[in-house]
Amino acid sequence: MRAPRPQSHKTAGEPLVWLTSIGLSLGLLMILGLLAIIVVNGLRVFWPKRVIEVQFKERGSFSFMGTNRLAGEIVKEQRQIVQSVADNQADARELQFYLGNKDVYGLNFVYVSQSSIAEMRYPGNILVIERIEYGNAVGYPVALRPQNAPAIPASDPSFAQRLAALNREANERRERIEKIERTQIGKINARMTKLRLRQRAGPAAQAKQTRTEDEMKELQSRYEALAQSASALRQQQSAIELVYRLPTGQEHAIPIGNLVSFRYPNQLSLWQRAGWFAQNAWGFLADDPREANTEGGVFPAIFGTAVMTLIMSIAVVPFGVLAAIYLREYAKQGVFVRAVRIAVNNLAGVPSIVFGVFGLGFFVYFIGSTIDEFFFSSALPTPTFGTGAILWASLTLALMTVPVVIVATEEALTAVPRGMREGSLACGASKWQTIRRIILPSAVPGILTGLILAMARGAGEVAPLMLVGVVKLAPSLPLDAAWPFIHFERKFMHLGFHIYDLGFQSPDSEAAKPMVFATTLLLILLVVLLNLGAIVIRERIRRKYAMGAF
Amino acid sequence: MTRFIKVGGLLVIAAVLGIFIFILIQILPLFRGARVTELQSIALPKARYTVMGADEWSELPFLVRSDGKILFVALSEGGRITEVDAYPAQESTVGEPVRSSLVTAVNYSARRQEIILGTANGQFSIVPINYTMDHSSGRATVIQNLKPGPFTPIGKPGAPIFAIAFGDAGDTKLVAAMQQAGDQAELHAVRMTRKRTLLGMGEAKIDGTFNLTALGSGKPVQVLVSSQADSIIVLTAAGDVEYLFRAGEAFEKRQVFRPFADLSDPTIASIDFLLGDVSLVVTSVTGENRVFSLYRKPGSNERTFGLIHPFERLPGPATFYNSSLRNKAFLTGGGQFASLRYGTTESIRWQKKLPFTIEKGLIGGKYNRLLFLDHDARLHIFRLNDPHPDTSFKALFGKVWYEGHNAPSYEWQSTGGTDDFESKFSLVPLIIGTLKGTIYAMLFAVPIALLAALYTSQFLHPRFKVVIKPTMEIMASLPSVVLGFLAALWLAPLIETRLPSILLIVVLVPLAGVAFGQWWSSLPIRYRRLIGAGYEFVMFFPILLGLLYLSWRLGPALEKYLFTVTDPETGRRVADFRLWWPRITGTSFEQRNSLVVGFMMGFAVIPIIFTIAEDALSNVPAALRSGSLALGASRWQTALRIVVPTASAGIFSALMIGLGRAVGETMIVVMATGNTPVMDLNIFSGMRTLSANIAVELPEAPEHSSLYRTLFLGALLLFVMTFLVNTAAELLRQHLREKYKTI
Repeated sequence: MRAPRPQSHKTAGEPLVWLTSIGLSLGLLMILGLLAIIVVNGLRVFWPKRVIEVQFKERGSFSFMGTNRLAGEIVKEQRQIVQSVADNQADARELQFYLGNKDVYGLNFVYVSQSSIAEMRYPGNILVIERIEYGNAVGYPVALRPQNAPAIPASDPSFAQRLAALNREANERRERIEKIERTQIGKINARMTKLRLRQRAGPAAQAKQTRTEDEMKELQSRYEALAQSASALRQQQSAIELVYRLPTGQEHAIPIGNLVSFRYPNQLSLWQRAGWFAQNAWGFLADDPREANTEGGVFPAIFGTAVMTLIMSIAVVPFGVLAAIYLREYAKQGVFVRAVRIAVNNLAGVPSIVFGVFGLGFFVYFIGSTIDEFFFSSALPTPTFGTGAILWASLTLALMTVPVVIVATEEALTAVPRGMREGSLACGASKWQTIRRIILPSAVPGILTGLILAMARGAGEVAPLMLVGVVKLAPSLPLDAAWPFIHFERKFMHLGFHIYDLGFQSPDSEAAKPMVFATTLLLILLVVLLNLGAIVIRERIRRKYAMGAF
Repeated sequence: MTRFIKVGGLLVIAAVLGIFIFILIQILPLFRGARVTELQSIALPKARYTVMGADEWSELPFLVRSDGKILFVALSEGGRITEVDAYPAQESTVGEPVRSSLVTAVNYSARRQEIILGTANGQFSIVPINYTMDHSSGRATVIQNLKPGPFTPIGKPGAPIFAIAFGDAGDTKLVAAMQQAGDQAELHAVRMTRKRTLLGMGEAKIDGTFNLTALGSGKPVQVLVSSQADSIIVLTAAGDVEYLFRAGEAFEKRQVFRPFADLSDPTIASIDFLLGDVSLVVTSVTGENRVFSLYRKPGSNERTFGLIHPFERLPGPATFYNSSLRNKAFLTGGGQFASLRYGTTESIRWQKKLPFTIEKGLIGGKYNRLLFLDHDARLHIFRLNDPHPDTSFKALFGKVWYEGHNAPSYEWQSTGGTDDFESKFSLVPLIIGTLKGTIYAMLFAVPIALLAALYTSQFLHPRFKVVIKPTMEIMASLPSVVLGFLAALWLAPLIETRLPSILLIVVLVPLAGVAFGQWWSSLPIRYRRLIGAGYEFVMFFPILLGLLYLSWRLGPALEKYLFTVTDPETGRRVADFRLWWPRITGTSFEQRNSLVVGFMMGFAVIPIIFTIAEDALSNVPAALRSGSLALGASRWQTALRIVVPTASAGIFSALMIGLGRAVGETMIVVMATGNTPVMDLNIFSGMRTLSANIAVELPEAPEHSSLYRTLFLGALLLFVMTFLVNTAAELLRQHLREKYKTI
C-alpha cells in the first residue's frame, strides 16, 4: 500500500460531487424542456402564420396536383432522411406545408424538398378562410356572388369591408340558428321524451291521457314553427357565395354561412397578428369543437372538467375531513390506527386505473343499475344511471383522492399547537366545541391544500375516467338551463381525455396535433396553477406556525 | 356528535378498504367449477335411439329412433312427444321407394342442425331441422319445421352404408360414407356445391365424387368430416386415426397416427371433434382421454395432429360424447359416470356418478343445460351453471397449449373474429410487460433521482431549495396523459431516426460529469473560487445543452460508421439503426418502444423518488454530519459514509414507492407503446402492461363475462402489488423515523 499523497489543494471526492450535481441539472433540464416544448407548441397554434406561394423548378421531379405551384403555411423544416452511405446529400432539407383546402386536395400536409423549389413569395392578396367544415381554405378571392344580383369582384375597393360585414351577419345568424335548434328545440324534445316515457309506463286515467296527447300535439306544432324559422335562416346563410381561386388554379365557391372568419395573412401588422392571436385563443376556449374535434374550441371539455372536479370536491372534502378528525382526535392511537393510517396513505399510491375498475364495477354496474331498476324502469333497457356518468366519474375520483385530503388534513390537525387545544379545554369547552371552534379554523389552510392537490390530481387524471363516463363528444353539457339543471347521469367531455382522443383516435393525427398541443398547454396550466396554489398556501402555514407564539 | 364522527370516520375508512373486497368478490367466480342440478326427467317410449339433439334454447330436444323416426320432446309442455317421419314415403332417384326401416347410419351436425341418414341401399339424405322461435302465443316457444331432403346415391350402388358423416362449409358440403361391399368396407365421398345466384342460394349439386377406399389401411369403423369440408378422419378397428385431406381435386392421406400407441390396448372407444373442428377428443377403451389438435410441427408446412391435452382418466370406456357449441367444453363418460371437461385449460368442470346408466349426453346450445338419455329411455334435463369455463388458475398463470400452436405458450388474446375462437387469458405476458416497463423506467429514473436527491440535500446551496423542491413537485403532478401524448407524437418520431444520438448522450453525459469534475477540481483555487460550493449544478446547464447538441449532430455520423447494413435488394450499404438492430439481435424494432416509455415514465417517477429520498437524506440528524465534518472528512466522504448509510432505509423506501408508481402507470403506456402483449425484454419493442390492458379492453368487455372478471383480476394484482410495496416502504420509513428520534 502506498502512502497517501499529500493533497494540499484537493478535497477527496470533489469530482463526484460534480457528478451528483449532474443529476439535478438533468432533472431540472427535463422538466423545463418539457414545459418549454408544451408552451411554445401550444401558443404557436394561435399565431397567424404567413402563407407562402411556392413555384417549383421547371424540370424538377416534383409537381402538385398537376401544377408546379402550391401555397401554404410552413409547419416545419427538417433534414431529409438519407439512408445511403454512399450518397453525399446529408444537407438535403425539406419543408412541410400546411395547405388547407382539404375538400379539394384530400390532404392537409405535404413535404417539399427544398432543392425542387424555384421561387417563394408572399402574395399580399392571398386569403385564409376558416370554415365550418373541412378546415381552412387558402386561396385568392375572386368575387362575392349573390343569388340574384351582379357579383362584386375582388378588385372592388369595398370588397374586404363588404366581406367582413357579411361575415359578421352570417355569424350572428348562425348563433340564432344554434339557439333555436339547441336550446328551444332541445327543450321541446326533452319534454316530449318525458311524455312518451309516461305513455309507455302504462295506461293512466282517461283525462290524464288526453291531457298528455294534447300537450304532445301542442309541442309538435311549436316544434314545427321553430324548425321552419330555423330553416328560413339557413336559407339566408347560403344566399351569397364567396368565390375564390385556389393556388393551383381551380375556382371554388363557399356559402357565406360556412365562413367562420377570414384574414389576409400576409397583410397583417404585428398588432393585427396579436389581435388574431387573442381571437384564436379566445375561440379555442369558448367554442364548441368541430370536424371530429380537430377544429374549433374545447369549451365543453373545459366545462366538463370543471363540473367534474367540483362534484368531486364536494364529495371528497366532508368525508376526508371526517376521517382525518376521527383518526387524529378520536381514535385511540395504537396499532390499529397506525395500520389504518398506513393503509390510507398507501391507497394514494394505488394505480388510478384500479379505482376506475372499481368505479365501473361498483358505481356503474352495481349502484347505477339498481337505481335504474327502481326509479327509471320505464326507460329500460336503455340505462340511465347504469352507464358511465359524470356522477360516477366524480365519485370514482373522489375515492381516489380521499387519501390525499385525509393525509393533508391530518397534518394540519397535528400542526395545531397543543397550547391552543389545552387552552380551549381549560376554559370548559367540550371536545367537539374545541375541534369545531379552535382546531378546525386553524386547520382550514391545510385542508385547502389537500383539496387543491386533490383537484389537481383529479383534473389531470384520465385512465379511470375512460371507464366511468368520459366521451369524445358529449351532445349536451352536464349543467344547463333545463330542469333539474345539473344532470348527474350525463356523460361529459374532459380535457385530459380530449388529448388522448385527439392524439390517438382521430382520423388525421397530423391535423389534430395543433389542437392537442393547445389542449395540453391548457391542462398543464390548470394543473400547475392548482399545484402552485397549494404550495404557496402550505408555505404560508409553515411560516405562520414557525413564528407562532404558542 | 362524537358518536357521529366516530361512525362516520370508521365508515369512510371501511369504504376505502372495501375496494379491495369488492374487486375480490368480482373475481372469485373465475375459479369456481360448474354447478349442475337436475330440473326434470321425462319417460320416452322404449326403443333404441341413435341420435340426440336440441335447439339453441334446449326447449325442444329431438331423438332419432333406430327405425328412422324423429321424436320431438316439448319440455315446456311436460314432455309432449311429437313423432315425425323423416321422409314420408317418397321416390328415390334409384326408383326403389325408401322407408324408414332402411336407415342404417345416422349422424347429426349440431352446428348446422342437420341430420344425415345413410340407407341400406347406398343412398343418403340430409334432413335440416329448422327450429324457429314463435312469439305469437304471447310467450316464446320453439317450433320445428322438418324439411326432408332428396335421397342421393353415393359410392358403390346398393351397398349398405354403415357409417356416414358430412361437413358443411356454406357453399360446399362434403359427405363421406362407409359401405359394406361383401366382406370389405369401402369409403366414398361426394362433394356438393351450391352456386350463389342473384336469387339467393341455388340447389346443391354434386360436383365431385371420390373413392377413398385405397387410402385406408385397416378396417374402418367410423368416419368424421370437418366443418370446413376439406378433410375426413377415419377411425380403424386397430386404433389408428387416418387423416385424409383434400388438396385440389384429390384426397391425400396426410397422416396416420395411433393416439394410444403407448397403451397395451390401443383400441379407441370414441373420437369426435371439439368446437372449431381442429381438435379431436379421443378416449380409449381403458378410459384414457386425450385431445389431439392440428398444428405445424417444426420443419413441416402441413398441419398434422399432435397430442396437446392429456386429460384425467375416465373410470371406464367412453360411451357417449358431445361438444359444446359455445366453447371448447365437451361432455363424455361411460356407464353411470359423466364428466364435463374444458379443452383449452385441461380442467374438469364437473363430474359425477349419476344414479342411472347414461346412453347419450348433450350440452345445451347456450351452455346452460345438460341432457342425458338413460338406459331406460328416460330423458334427464340438468341445469348447468358455469359462466367461466375458460378460466382457471392454469389458464391465467400457466402455460397452455392452444389449438393450432406448436408448443404451450403464455398468451393474451381475449377476442377473435369467429365463434369458435379460443380465448387466451394468460396474464403472464401482461405481468412481464408491466415488469419490462417498470425496469426501463427505473433504469433511467433511479440514477438521476438519487444523484439529484443526494446533491440537493447535501451539497446544494440552501437558497435554491425553496425553488427546486416545488419544481419537482410540479413535475410529479404533470398529468400522465400529457406525458403519454408527448412520448408518442413528439418524442417517438423524433428519436426514431436519431437513436445513435441517444446512444451518444447516454454514454457522454455521465462521462462528461466525471471528466469535468476531475478537471475542475484540479484547477488552481483562484478559478475554482468562481463557482462556490452549492452552485455546481448551474455550471452543468451550458455543458449539458452543448453535449445534447453535439450528440444530436454527431449521431448520424456515428450511424454511418457503426450501424450499417447491406440492403439485400440493391446491394447498397445503408446506414440505419432501425434496420441494423433487428439484423444483429434478431429482435424487432418499433417506433413506440420501451425506450420512449422508460424515458417518459421517468418524468413521473423521478420526482417521487427524488422527494422522498431527499427528505430521508435531509432528515439525517445534523449532529452526525457536523461530527463527521469536524473530524476532517470532506463533504463527499461525509455524504457517502455517514449520511447515505444512515438514510439507506429511507432511500430504499423512496425506490419502492417509485416502483409502485411505475407499475401502475397507465396512460403513458397506452399511448407510447403498440400495446402488443409480447414476452421479451427487448428495449426497442413495445409491451402491454396490466394497467394498459384494463384501459384498452375493459370499456368493451361485457359485464360479468370472463374477460370482465379477468380484467378485474388484473386490477387486483396491481392493487396488491402496489399496496404491498408501498406498505413495506411506509413501514421502513416509520422505522427510520424512530431511529432518528433516538440519535
